[in-house]
Amino acid sequence: MSRPRSSGRSGGWLGALPLLVFFALVFGVPAVALVAGAFTAQGRPSLDNLALSLRGGYLTALLGSVKLSAVVALSGAVLGTFLAHAVVTSRFRLLREAVLTASGVLANFGGVPLAFFWIATLGNSGVVSGPAGLPSGALYTFWGLAVVYLYFSIPLMVLVMAPALDGLRPQWREAAANSGATAWHYWRYVALPVLAPAMLGGVVLLFGSAFSAYATANAMVGTVVPLVTLKIAAALTGDVLIGYENIALALSLDMIVVAGLVMAVYLPLQRRTSRWLH
Amino acid sequence: MFSPRARAAGVAAALTLVTAACGAAPGTQRTGQTSPGGVNAATATSAADFGGLDKLVEAAKKEGTLHVIALPPDWANYGEIIEKFQAKYGIKIESETPDASSADEINAVKTRKGQDRAPDVLDLGQSFALSGAGEGLFAPYKVQGFDRIPEGQKEPTGLWVNDYGGYVSIGCDAKKITTCPTSYKDLLKPEYKGKVAMNGNPTKAGSAFAGVYAAALANGGSFDDIQPGIDFFKKLKDAGNYNPVETTPATIEKGETQISIDWDYNNAAYAPQMAGKGIDWKVNVPTDGKYFQMYAQAINKDAPHPAAARLWQEYLYSAEGQNLFLKGFARPVLLPAMTADGTVDKALAGKLPQVEGEPTFPTSRQVDAAKAKLAGGWDAAISG
Amino acid sequence: MVALTGLEPAAPTAPAAPAARARVWRGVVFLLAALYFLVPLGASLWYTLYTPAAGVSFAPYGELLAAEGFARSLLLSLGLAAATIAVVLLLALPAMLAVRLFAPRLRPVMEVLCTLPLVVPPITFVAGLATSLRAGTDVLAPTPFWATIIAVQDPGFPVVLVLAYVVLVLPFVYRSLDAGLRTMDVRTLVEAARNLGASWPYVLLRVVVPNLRPALASASFLTLALVLGEYTVASLLGYQPFAVWIVTVSGSRGQLSVAVSILSLLIIWLLLLAVSTVFGRERKS
Repeated sequence: MSRPRSSGRSGGWLGALPLLVFFALVFGVPAVALVAGAFTAQGRPSLDNLALSLRGGYLTALLGSVKLSAVVALSGAVLGTFLAHAVVTSRFRLLREAVLTASGVLANFGGVPLAFFWIATLGNSGVVSGPAGLPSGALYTFWGLAVVYLYFSIPLMVLVMAPALDGLRPQWREAAANSGATAWHYWRYVALPVLAPAMLGGVVLLFGSAFSAYATANAMVGTVVPLVTLKIAAALTGDVLIGYENIALALSLDMIVVAGLVMAVYLPLQRRTSRWLH
Repeated sequence: MFSPRARAAGVAAALTLVTAACGAAPGTQRTGQTSPGGVNAATATSAADFGGLDKLVEAAKKEGTLHVIALPPDWANYGEIIEKFQAKYGIKIESETPDASSADEINAVKTRKGQDRAPDVLDLGQSFALSGAGEGLFAPYKVQGFDRIPEGQKEPTGLWVNDYGGYVSIGCDAKKITTCPTSYKDLLKPEYKGKVAMNGNPTKAGSAFAGVYAAALANGGSFDDIQPGIDFFKKLKDAGNYNPVETTPATIEKGETQISIDWDYNNAAYAPQMAGKGIDWKVNVPTDGKYFQMYAQAINKDAPHPAAARLWQEYLYSAEGQNLFLKGFARPVLLPAMTADGTVDKALAGKLPQVEGEPTFPTSRQVDAAKAKLAGGWDAAISG
Repeated sequence: MVALTGLEPAAPTAPAAPAARARVWRGVVFLLAALYFLVPLGASLWYTLYTPAAGVSFAPYGELLAAEGFARSLLLSLGLAAATIAVVLLLALPAMLAVRLFAPRLRPVMEVLCTLPLVVPPITFVAGLATSLRAGTDVLAPTPFWATIIAVQDPGFPVVLVLAYVVLVLPFVYRSLDAGLRTMDVRTLVEAARNLGASWPYVLLRVVVPNLRPALASASFLTLALVLGEYTVASLLGYQPFAVWIVTVSGSRGQLSVAVSILSLLIIWLLLLAVSTVFGRERKS
């Protein structure tokens, strides 16, 4: 027996309720602690931390992080989509499995080991630096760090795009070819619009992932590239700074606000690109 | 949505799960364990409170375990100290997260209050020991040699006591570098392009901060003025000599960090390790910038194993323990006293990196001011 | 050489050229990707194997496998991963379905919620979590929930880690499931099934899930890989799953510490491959 439609609206809330409750408890409570700490200075409620966190070195660090994450997200998205497409259209099932599982592994790879991989390759004494004639310290710059960050960003994009690319039915390609469309036309007018929502989602994921990464940068470039996560880590866990915890929490709040801004741009775009799909 | 039977089953399952892990906190405060003599180990302030060192050993053995944190095996020879302690008293030591920082240790104490997982003893940087004592996290305890520890190196009631320390030093791969640098001025030479690294960045790593402080002393600054140190590293970066990689044994072996500014006991400990890999690692205390700093020991006030924690302190400050620090190329706090009464291991003392003169120490206010200056100015200097 | 008479129809040759071109293009992409990903791995691998003094040796790897605590920490991580996968899928799938089918207005809320954990650095999250646990222990002391909060932190199986991991992995699972739900026409399928008289559990288990298999598998692999490789949260909260254990055991010995990271990559990859072949991911035709 089919139930009356009026249960539909409540069904939506009911289905989402466990997740919402869980999130409120496990993320919401720490988030409240975070906000409380961010607005406390010397034991009293205050806006000082937030004001400090948007000035001078902290602001440079925040903007540096945003710049790096944006560069990594956009380039990772493009390169990842190409790789995902190559994987998905390959004839060898084993290759597809191997690459997709490897992507799963590498998407979560980072920290000191990743830094070492690249120090060993492109560092001042790296195996490739000599033959390639790299200038000293080339890896320890903004662009060097971006190249390293792609190591986990591209696999992440592959993982996001592979299911989406799977959804491109070959019949569409054939139909397009039969109507006389070139490959370029197919991509521009058929495939990309279908893939756009997933791609946008991937960009956001890559941005967030690069934005909150820190251990690799810490082991490799120290503070040569200004990043907000390094500042947060120095304040919350370290052997030097005491009493800077609340500024770190204010910086984290800034990061959340930045994420909010990204979402504010992304959500309407998402709605527009997926409008015709539903 | 679900059948009534399924719904009931779900509710029953949830209730069982919830009640399985239920129960209010034990009403009374933690009274601490009492040994057969009726001594409360958690409030004992010296071995005498136990009725003598033997009774302390007995009480500790009864507890059977000691929980330590942030003690890397090759940092001031802690690996051997842990081994010897376990062998001598039969108390199992659980060494957690060796690469934790002082802030992590304090957080662990605060977060795990009342749990068995809390750390018993802490090895902290000076400022952290001071702030932790101020927050009431430590238990006062005077080891047997307490009176022989110099005045400025301990908290009067024994809340924290300095245990070992070292000078900022410059380590160098003598096979890859023709002339090893012996001063901060040397580091600016063009032949060291891309080779001068530190053990992390100064806003986070204690030895790197000390490196900047020492650079300040070497370039006309003082304990009150760390700016010349920051300027020095800016010069170093502009010259292309600064390598931002965090020195680890792996990066030394790979040849990436051929010169490393670090505590002398760390650099000296690399030497035998690297000799096996064909690297000749030399250590020099810079002639123009000498900065000496000590680390401090403290006992967690709510230590799950209070007697074992106090026995650990006694062991570290015994001649045996202090000589083991010496073996790790660290300068133990009782070194002057032990040299005077002959309990020091002369061979080990002779192996310490050579330094001239006596060290001077900044006050905690000077250090805090320096840290604030560094936090404000380091980024701009080094990333510009 | 046979000359073309110009009478051959153009069509048969047209598909061949694009296919060949596509193959070349794929080859180039794979070659570049292989270079970018495998050269650093190879450089580090070579570093772990070769010492000027001793020549090539696999000693670091043998040492790791034989070290005490290998099985214990790996099993703990696997258990945590299994629990995380179960919880996150149980929470996320019904929620996403419900939002997609009934309450599209909740969609932006879901998007924001599921991207928020991504931008909070793990250090901050742990700081907040630790503060909450501390405050919770104090506040809940007189209530029956005190033991719950302590049990949740039990080192034998730290449920608090499962909870933290579910939050950390939510953005990735959301993206995967979202992409998957997008490619299958959920609304029509569900409506059709409901009209034919299927109950909700039936719809969920026998209609939606089979169609979502690639996305579910992808989400599970991401979770498995994340949990097995997660270091910051576990070490700051004081537990020793696999990733924390390998850092502890390698101490500060250069080759061993790099070897453990390579070995852990390999182990996780093999585990993922095993899981994927066992559960037979279907390729959409």
